[in-house]
Amino acid sequence: MAALAISSIRLARVSIPLTMVHAGSMYVIQKTERTVVEMTLENGAAGLGETWGTPDVYALAQRFAKELLGKDALNRFAFRELLGKSTYDNRFGRNGLATLAGLDLAAWDAVARSLKMPLAELIGARRRESVDVVSTLPAAILPKAGTRKDLTDHLDVPANTKLVVEFALEQARKSGFRSFKLKSAAYSPEWDWKLLNELREALPQARIRFDPNANYGAATATELCRRLDPLGLEFFEDPTGELEGIARLKAAVKTPVATNMWVVKDEHLVPAIRRQAVDVVLGDLFMWGGIDAWRRMARVSHAYGLKPALHSVYETGIATVANLHIACALAEVHYPNDSGLHFLAADVVAEDLPVKNGAMALPAGAGLGVTLDRRKLGKVTLESVEIHV
Amino acid sequence: MAAPVSIAHTHVHSVRVGSGAEALVARVLSADGIAGFGFTLNLEAAVARDMAAWDALARAKGVPLHGLLGGSYRKAVNLVKDELPAIPPDWTALRKDILDGRHELLRIDPFAWGSVEMVQTIAAVAAAFDLGIALLAPNAHPWEIQYCAALAATIKGEDTKIISRKEIKEKEVSVPDQPGIGIDWPLEPSFSRIQWQR
Repeated sequence: MAALAISSIRLARVSIPLTMVHAGSMYVIQKTERTVVEMTLENGAAGLGETWGTPDVYALAQRFAKELLGKDALNRFAFRELLGKSTYDNRFGRNGLATLAGLDLAAWDAVARSLKMPLAELIGARRRESVDVVSTLPAAILPKAGTRKDLTDHLDVPANTKLVVEFALEQARKSGFRSFKLKSAAYSPEWDWKLLNELREALPQARIRFDPNANYGAATATELCRRLDPLGLEFFEDPTGELEGIARLKAAVKTPVATNMWVVKDEHLVPAIRRQAVDVVLGDLFMWGGIDAWRRMARVSHAYGLKPALHSVYETGIATVANLHIACALAEVHYPNDSGLHFLAADVVAEDLPVKNGAMALPAGAGLGVTLDRRKLGKVTLESVEIHV
Repeated sequence: MAAPVSIAHTHVHSVRVGSGAEALVARVLSADGIAGFGFTLNLEAAVARDMAAWDALARAKGVPLHGLLGGSYRKAVNLVKDELPAIPPDWTALRKDILDGRHELLRIDPFAWGSVEMVQTIAAVAAAFDLGIALLAPNAHPWEIQYCAALAATIKGEDTKIISRKEIKEKEVSVPDQPGIGIDWPLEPSFSRIQWQR
């Protein structure tokens, strides 16, 4: 059997503007930085990957990429062993797993293209052709990126909630979104209470997830979520933390509780299962450290009655489509995918990836089914490097 | 759940193997004309069909089974005699027992559990709970041992091994690296005498 040896890896750190200011409890931003990965095999096939775009991750990606040259892309399991548990885990915190995930994704894509299979089939099966996606609703609609103080001043004016409701209605009109994620600044439970009631009234059939990124204390969050229970939200996403706080909150409410903060890697799963801490594991491909880790998470979650779902932030078409393949491949996934692609002012792939009727179509063809557009990539690249034998 | 391959035709035959036991051998013809084979000595045809679908896909792609499942953790698997009972194929009971801490090593007969996908799911749960997996070759037939080795390649953990009820001369088995699920079909002369339809 001819091994699919890795011959070169190209990395580009990109910065892509967002079409509007995005505010939550952890950030007020108007751009996203990502690292784009192109992995070429000796057979000529090339795969695309993507991961976080911080300088730390970009540097780590170069270091890991050197280790992977000459290795067999068919054996992605060996990547983790090769890079070493302490390397990807302890020493570099989440950066290690995220970096690994970006290279792992490029290898999955390169192998799927070599075997002439859609990525979904290589992960499991091509069970469906499209996936409902979630539109993020910023905690507030701000005119420009600014400080936390700018945000809280805005939130002190209750009438400003209507800007978020109007924005949600526009998303529903424009792209047929049926699923929304309201980011919360975790500044004012009264703002969140008022806004969620208004959203529910404006969009009575929509799925609405509510995400304060655990910046409410357990007591405040539990009181707020109890009041929100009758609204029939899709789930409370990290209403508080940590595992113990969220577990107590879950026991106190009827609405499902999700996390992408307290159950984010292999060894978090069993404690969460034992503690009955959450209903939904909103797994982020990059935090979990790659496709097989995400797939194992989905299987284990499902085995114990938890529901796996796909988390994402402001990612390019590469990671967005990777998440579509994972959702289509695994029977355990039922919730809509998080997706921020429609907020990016530019992309790096050639294909147009529209949201229609609230869903994104799984691209046709082998691998991810999308191709890098070098002209587009060039426009957003901050720095790039090629690593080869 | 079978492999993600479009299946044009399946056919199951009963054959007598050298030991005198009866085996079911399944052939799956994929839509693009590639044949794959699977077998079982427990007379449940579903597991043989699942195996044949994976064999057809892996042959069509020119890769061993582990090349379709994400990789391989080892090149050889330890083979040991073990007479303790295998876990009955009751997923509800097993999940509860794992949660209750009743297992350290999961003795799994892949022929009883029925599919590659099921074994992968058990393996994922075992990894999360830090449990070992021993794959049982129930009759210690060489085909069974080879199939267990193909599966064991994809199962994480130092404790992964193949067990059989009787002493076997070899202390380890190589993970098959040829395209397909890695069974050496000519080991049983009756295989070549099967009259396949079409």
